[in-house]
Amino acid sequence: MNSILYVDLTERSSKVIERPDLFSKYLGGPGVASKLIIEETKPGTDPFSPESPIIFAAGYLVGIFPCMVKTVAMFKSPLTKNLGESYSGGHLASALRFAGYDVLVVHGASENPVMIKIVDDDVKVERADSLWGLSPLDVEKTLREHYEGIQSVISCGRAGERLIYYGNVIVDRFHHFGRLGLGAIFGSKKLKAISINGTGEIPLEDPLAVKEMYKKLYDEVVNSENMLKYHNLGTSANVLELNERGALPSRNFKESRFRGAERISGEAMAESSLERKISCPGCPVACIHLAELKTGFAPEHEKGRKEIFSEKVLVPYNYEPMYALGSNLLINEPSHLLRLIYRCECLGLDAMMVGTVLAWVTEAFEEGIINLDDTLGIEPRWSDVGAYLQIIDNMVDLKNPFYTKLAQGLDVASEKYGGEEFAMIVGRNGLAGYATGYGTIAGQLVGARHSHLSNSGYSIDQMALNQPIGPEQIAKFLINQEDWLYVLYSLGTCYFARKIYTKEVVCEVLKIMGIDQTPEGLMQLGKEIFHNLYKFKIQEGFELTDQKIPGRVYSMQTPHKKLDAEKMQSIIKFYIHKRESEGLQLRPEEKALKELLSFEG
Amino acid sequence: MRFRIEVVRPERCIGCYSCVYACSRHLFNTVDPSRTAVFLRTEGSLANPFMPVTCRFCKTPECAEACPKDALQPLPEGGIMLITSRCEGCETFDCITACAIRALALDKKTKFPVICDKCGDCAKYCPHNVFKYEEMK
Repeated sequence: MNSILYVDLTERSSKVIERPDLFSKYLGGPGVASKLIIEETKPGTDPFSPESPIIFAAGYLVGIFPCMVKTVAMFKSPLTKNLGESYSGGHLASALRFAGYDVLVVHGASENPVMIKIVDDDVKVERADSLWGLSPLDVEKTLREHYEGIQSVISCGRAGERLIYYGNVIVDRFHHFGRLGLGAIFGSKKLKAISINGTGEIPLEDPLAVKEMYKKLYDEVVNSENMLKYHNLGTSANVLELNERGALPSRNFKESRFRGAERISGEAMAESSLERKISCPGCPVACIHLAELKTGFAPEHEKGRKEIFSEKVLVPYNYEPMYALGSNLLINEPSHLLRLIYRCECLGLDAMMVGTVLAWVTEAFEEGIINLDDTLGIEPRWSDVGAYLQIIDNMVDLKNPFYTKLAQGLDVASEKYGGEEFAMIVGRNGLAGYATGYGTIAGQLVGARHSHLSNSGYSIDQMALNQPIGPEQIAKFLINQEDWLYVLYSLGTCYFARKIYTKEVVCEVLKIMGIDQTPEGLMQLGKEIFHNLYKFKIQEGFELTDQKIPGRVYSMQTPHKKLDAEKMQSIIKFYIHKRESEGLQLRPEEKALKELLSFEG
Repeated sequence: MRFRIEVVRPERCIGCYSCVYACSRHLFNTVDPSRTAVFLRTEGSLANPFMPVTCRFCKTPECAEACPKDALQPLPEGGIMLITSRCEGCETFDCITACAIRALALDKKTKFPVICDKCGDCAKYCPHNVFKYEEMK
């Protein structure tokens, strides 16, 4: 192992380089990728230039222990203009590792559409003209074969091909590299798909110890309460939980309860639409919930009888798209929600960001800052699924200057049309569905990829309901979570298994792999990974102190009432202060000095 | 005691590969999805159901009949036993192709067909009881 496969699309060549130096220190996943992204990217590289690399890094323990399933993709994000960092489950990490690689780095660009086909050490760049324009779902159907071992097929959709800044990459039909625009990077390289088939082994140094530990962990995963939620209703259980707490964003965060919540809840979906649950290889949980979306054949074939459902598709659902394309848009019909998710799947679009954009468009139209000329005659109205589907299509087709701006993110659109106050983005990325309090907003603002999964900020909001938690404690919590999650992600651990893999368990597991680590040593490693990523962000022009929080955040209702801007600033200041005391320079020096003088810590 | 494994509820399979990995750990002390006696197959897209496959322990096993060297011996209770001294790991794959459900694979390292030893680990590590593992009467 310790192998990096480099594929160059310009030269249509490949090579393998062993980097024990990287793996022995940073294990895998974001640890290794955080070093490679700096090594492989010249400062200021245009995300869409051939020099802009894509790094896929599988976790260090993928295949060996339960719930170790993740691959990170790192790239320069067209959406944020700095770090692109996105995680996916599915077959990819296992296929890569069984093919004999820990990391795949893609360089260059092709003039014609191409795909990368990897079967163990057989690596080819092949023409893919006939795949161009196909949905990622059809690409998966086309490329999946009866191979030995494990195969993974990943692909961008038309959104990526058209360089939509939040075009995603769909992994093995139901998983995603979402959020920060990896699909558009594929599109810019004319890279339609990657198929990896791994039939080799992951050698074990101490198989007996692995077996014993595996059994212990497997029992914990399957029989304890720790992961039961993810199998039962999945994260869709959050819809009702958050609605009850008054933390479910609705009407573009103007409201925090949604009257239609019950109809699109996880409970209702399980009752009406849930068809199957599936897993990633190596995880017995099956958190991927698939709903059946039924549609009728075209009316002319049914002679006017509309109720004959003849077409069925499987649509993955979980909490985030249910908030983004459901409660936040006042969509209260399960089939409407599924149609919106499915359209995003077919086009290869990030469902969360699409929800954020559609909510802004609806409000901007209400406010009169955009009009029918901009929308080409479509009236965006809350819960109007037909209008929303048309807007999505027009955006991917870059139909006019308005839709082209939408395709570049809400910072670009709101800069041109106004409505920054209700453009619900931080660090240019759409907010996740948690109107829970300070932790979630501050967490997404400071996180390296501006995700709620960067540091679980929403969970400290929950704790703060029972006891007062001050700004400094919130900042400390975010830092601790962030540092620790980078350790877990470097091992390939699924976020949902974080309660299984405590610091002590991780030390035990690493010991079996021949690595002596302490909880403190691991935290230090996580910190270093975070620092590396932030150095890349700063190198590419990111400044934490320049980041804006949309005004709506301070008028939205949360379980902590309305949020206070000063308290939020105080959390960010504590955060910056603490990170800088670790030696991470977050601001230009003169700015830091000025801030320090006025800092009341 | 003689045991038997059977895939009884394939529709419950979630595609977690826990059975495949367990088999590979048991038989070869490694993790290798192609060194295993249990297979997880899909037809086309992953949107289609998974099909876990194990040896069916046939009474008159075709794989054994197909072997030109009589290296696979039918067992009285069903299934086969491999006589390694007779197996030449021939690349005609006669035994492999004889099995209609392709429950037999040639191990790329040892060049012998991988034979299920009925340890039951696939069933033990299945979270949804896709397999039945029981003593034969």
